[in-house]
Amino acid sequence: MDSSLLLSITTFAYLLCALLYLSGVLFRYRPLLIFGSVVAAFALVIQTSGILLRWRESYQLGYGHAPLSNLYESLVFAAWAIMLIYLIFELRTKQRVLGVFPALFAFLAMAYASFSTQVDSKIQPLVPALKSNWLIAHVVTCFLGYAAFTVSCGISILYLLKKTQSDNPHPKGVLGFLPAARQLDQFNYQMIVFGFLWLSLGIITGSIWANSAWGTYWSWDPKETWSFITWLVYAALLHARNMQGWRGPRVAWLSVTGFACVLFTYFGVNFLLSGLHSYATK
Amino acid sequence: MQQKKGFLDLLIQTLSSMRLTVFLFLTLAVCSIAGTLLPQGTSLEELERHFGPSLSWWIEIIGLNDLYRTGWFRAILLLLCVNLIICTLQRLPKTLKLLQHRDEQISPEKLEKFNYHTEITIHRPLDATRTQLTEIISKAFAPVQPLSSSDAFRAVAEKGRWTRWMVYVIHFSVLVILLGALLGSVFGFKGFMNLAEGESSDEVMLAKGKNAIVLPFQIRCDDFDVSFYDTGAPKEYRSDLTIIDKGQEVFKQSIRVNDPLSYDGVTFYQASYGSILKRAKVELQDRDTGTTHQLTLPYREVVPVPGTRDEIEVMQYQENFSNFGQAAAIVLMREGQEPVGSWILIDKPEFHGNRIQNYRVKVSDVERGHYTGLQVKRDPGVWFVYIGFIVMLTGIGMTFYTSHRKLWVWASPSKGKSNATTVFVAGRTNKNSLAFEQEFNHLCARLQNDLNPKQH
Repeated sequence: MDSSLLLSITTFAYLLCALLYLSGVLFRYRPLLIFGSVVAAFALVIQTSGILLRWRESYQLGYGHAPLSNLYESLVFAAWAIMLIYLIFELRTKQRVLGVFPALFAFLAMAYASFSTQVDSKIQPLVPALKSNWLIAHVVTCFLGYAAFTVSCGISILYLLKKTQSDNPHPKGVLGFLPAARQLDQFNYQMIVFGFLWLSLGIITGSIWANSAWGTYWSWDPKETWSFITWLVYAALLHARNMQGWRGPRVAWLSVTGFACVLFTYFGVNFLLSGLHSYATK
Repeated sequence: MQQKKGFLDLLIQTLSSMRLTVFLFLTLAVCSIAGTLLPQGTSLEELERHFGPSLSWWIEIIGLNDLYRTGWFRAILLLLCVNLIICTLQRLPKTLKLLQHRDEQISPEKLEKFNYHTEITIHRPLDATRTQLTEIISKAFAPVQPLSSSDAFRAVAEKGRWTRWMVYVIHFSVLVILLGALLGSVFGFKGFMNLAEGESSDEVMLAKGKNAIVLPFQIRCDDFDVSFYDTGAPKEYRSDLTIIDKGQEVFKQSIRVNDPLSYDGVTFYQASYGSILKRAKVELQDRDTGTTHQLTLPYREVVPVPGTRDEIEVMQYQENFSNFGQAAAIVLMREGQEPVGSWILIDKPEFHGNRIQNYRVKVSDVERGHYTGLQVKRDPGVWFVYIGFIVMLTGIGMTFYTSHRKLWVWASPSKGKSNATTVFVAGRTNKNSLAFEQEFNHLCARLQNDLNPKQH
């Protein structure tokens, strides 16, 4: 049994999970949703073992580093963080109908990591720039933030779908099966607050790390700048919601915009712009 | 005069508006995007090669190639600070007033209008209830502050008053971070120095401009080493450095990437490295006389050619000269003539151009060494920035995950029943109402249970 087998199982489990959540909502059949949650929980356990095993394997290869060092490992961790945050959210709110998007995004991340020819899944040794205890702190905090924003984006999309029938106070069919718009707005806000806290931590740990490695805590490198842009979009959202009383569609659209910034910070910067984070492209 | 005041009011009103804050956030975001599209620090010549002269002129004028240092980008940041300060000054008195406000006028009619309120009937007289009521709320929620009252029992209890300040704490931290950045750019410097193994220096080339500054001490590179993994990827760059202060070796330390050295407020980071030539063994064949000289030429040292009045020196070395491999620039100095030099291809000894004047030159052996590239920095503002970071994180956590919760209690003998007490409890929170609702309901249920006499 090696880590790549466990992570392959995870990939398909998340696909199954997304399909279960989706059909549960489409057919308005709760047992499918419960089945979806069970599969998600199992997949998360398998993935956790896969990540831990990969960590051990890197020691057996003589490299010895946390599995957070390249694009493949970060994608796997992103999927893990999305599902972890989503499942905790599900437990706390007892809402199962919002699982479609998190499971779908987790599956897409895993599938991209496993099947893309751009992504090398081999365990590689750490380059000197990454040899630091800040690696774990920085990557974990950033990805918890990204994951919360992913869940929030999923909720926002559902909110906007729901709002297409806003004239009807008791919409029938699939949309009626979703929680009330006000509740979705509230969930969305909670996720954004959580993500904002972790993104701030992620940017700050990155900044302190950069200072100890290169002697500058901020150099307007494209990755830094894009994480700052993302931070600004969510900061604008929080101010608009708390102080200007923005609710509903405007907040949902800002959240989707914020998530687009997250995606660009993660992928766009790596492939389209050059900078200090170049090791994240391989 | 009237109009002027109107303008000033309008200005202050604009500068203190939350609309402006959101607008500035999004403007900063959009402008920052512009700066990531073009590699920052691109020179004008390079711009002209890619975009042509007229477009380059515009890029240079707007400052797209050095956007984050342009005046207009800093002006937006400054405007955000002004907006933040004015907002704070406007809201601070309101917060103070809110916190000082005492709610003397508590009545059942008022409390019933609260989002969270409940009425409890206790089958005991008020005097017997009052102490226990105070005790339970003080223990389970927050200390009860009784208000002076003639007829009924009135009290408030609140916790998390301080959380109202947290949003100011975040805003303060932004100013502290920017102050740290300002201090760093005014009183600090960033630069680099290249040190060959064995060489010591006190001169730092500054990153901005072409100036150098002189450190009050010397730093020497004793050794540089680069190691590789089996895969060929670099494993570690290490420089062994010695600080020499006033002629004394003060201390030695090895630095790696992620592990710098600090001395006297100046920090040295491992940034790059390269190869240098230490010594070259050269075979000079005089084609006129047929004699051959074997010489050892230390890098950049003039060596006489025996039996002649000629002198020779290695001026430059390149590891890969126009894809021909190693090459050394060797100069011949002959009395009464201009010095003559040529690039000698070390890896292609048969190359016909390996000659200077009447000599055919062959480099038979080279002894190479490394130089280490150090990033050098002094930044007295960095501690402000770090303190700002900690304060900001604390502030964000507290702002979103704590709340100011307050309870109002009113108790009086029930009308028509001398042995019973009617208690009104109402509550309010400024955040996280779901959690407060639970806490409130829980407390009210407890009051109902514990205050009533136990029935056996």
